[in-house]
Amino acid sequence: MAARDVRTELDSLILQLLADLEELEAKRAALNGRVEEGWLSLAQARYAMGVKSVGPLQYASRMEPQVCVCASEAPDGLQNLRVVRAGAQIPEEVGPREAALRRRKGPTKTPEPESTTAPQDPLNWFGILVPHSLRQAQASFRDGLQLAGDIATLQIRISWGQRICFPNFLQ
Amino acid sequence: MKSNLHILPSTTDLKIHLQTTDYGNFLNNQTNPLTVSKIDTEMRQKLCREFDYFRNHSLEPLSTFFTYMTCSYMIDNVILLMNGALQKKSVKEILVKCHPLGRFTEMEAVNIAETTSDLFNAVLVETPLAPFFQDCMSENTLDELNIELLRNKLYKSYLEAFYKFCKNHGDVTAEIMCPILEFEADRRAFIITLNSFGTELSKEDRETLYPTCGKLYPEGLRLLAQAEDFDQMKRVAEHYGVYKPLFDAVGGSGGKTLEDVFYEREVQMNVLAFNRQFHYGVFYAYVKLKEQEMRNIVWIAECISQRHRTKINSYIPIL
Repeated sequence: MAARDVRTELDSLILQLLADLEELEAKRAALNGRVEEGWLSLAQARYAMGVKSVGPLQYASRMEPQVCVCASEAPDGLQNLRVVRAGAQIPEEVGPREAALRRRKGPTKTPEPESTTAPQDPLNWFGILVPHSLRQAQASFRDGLQLAGDIATLQIRISWGQRICFPNFLQ
Repeated sequence: MKSNLHILPSTTDLKIHLQTTDYGNFLNNQTNPLTVSKIDTEMRQKLCREFDYFRNHSLEPLSTFFTYMTCSYMIDNVILLMNGALQKKSVKEILVKCHPLGRFTEMEAVNIAETTSDLFNAVLVETPLAPFFQDCMSENTLDELNIELLRNKLYKSYLEAFYKFCKNHGDVTAEIMCPILEFEADRRAFIITLNSFGTELSKEDRETLYPTCGKLYPEGLRLLAQAEDFDQMKRVAEHYGVYKPLFDAVGGSGGKTLEDVFYEREVQMNVLAFNRQFHYGVFYAYVKLKEQEMRNIVWIAECISQRHRTKINSYIPIL
């Protein structure tokens, strides 16, 4: 009986692994597509604005990042990577490991003054009146970033799945 | 020549193919890898040499006509330098990328200016751009929005002055150049409107950027200033027999953008300039058609380097 349970569990893990692999392939293809679209839109923007108007002259050597990667722990214990806007308030997730009770309302604090101004849209480095192709390029690259976060999470899950499944499979 | 470029696997092959044309060995001094930016820079240098040849052989009033032609490149260079200063780039780095047709001695000092009045009084007062500053003077710090406003206001004044010069010259030059400059003015009004949707530019500010020497002035410009999306803009264009077919051609199976359609129209008008004789418009048309050729070559080079062979034929042929 116990052996059958183990085999059933192994089967479901392998099916999950294969499903993850399929999703990973699809997301990789989508990421490649977005990045290619972004570069093509940049070429179209150069056609409309001039080659020297969309290039290294328009951005500073040091930049403030607009997005960052947020690592959190999923219920199954694996790391979950998400791409979020830098400085955004992320609602705290209470994981299963949190044993202690949490106070619903913390002690009242005086609100801290806003130390940084709102981050500037990188689109404005190229001017205020930019062509539609440049906006499309920005949208494509933004989508690509989200996909990159999902791909990283999937790859963590797949590596874990491979580590668990294959030694057990051989037994 | 263009028909063979789409089968080239790399930009080095593009260089070899261009050697068989008028361009000759203009890329010989460039080291590998041959980037699109390098090709563009060398083509510009070649055009500048040809232009200087024309200018050195010219007498008045043709010399003034040539000066007017260089003003648009000067405006672009000034804006490039100011934007570079905002991004803390060194002047040397930007000067290399400036358009050679718009070179002037005071260029290196542009980045020290903090307001438009500074820029005028300290740097540009002795240059051909000085007369175009009359509507642009302000004490506001030059941030991205103000630089954009400055660019468009300078260009508006320049275009109106150039138009007046051609009109006063009269003769075949006026017959050829005035419609071309009217189209340029209207094109700028449409493109400014299109690009301003969804930005912080107000409708009142937008209206101050429209050049007034085109067919759209005054009613069309007034309507365009109120437009809030592409369809409203298209309805304004439908009042004008020249612009209705252009807007109808946008989209469609070829996925043409408004800019593409305008470039095609510009090419048509410039090609027709060569059908008349003894006028200055041929010099203007030659430079503009050369620019379109350069845009086409850069597009083909980008498609080759990004491996988008199917998109190569989206350039505008000059027939």
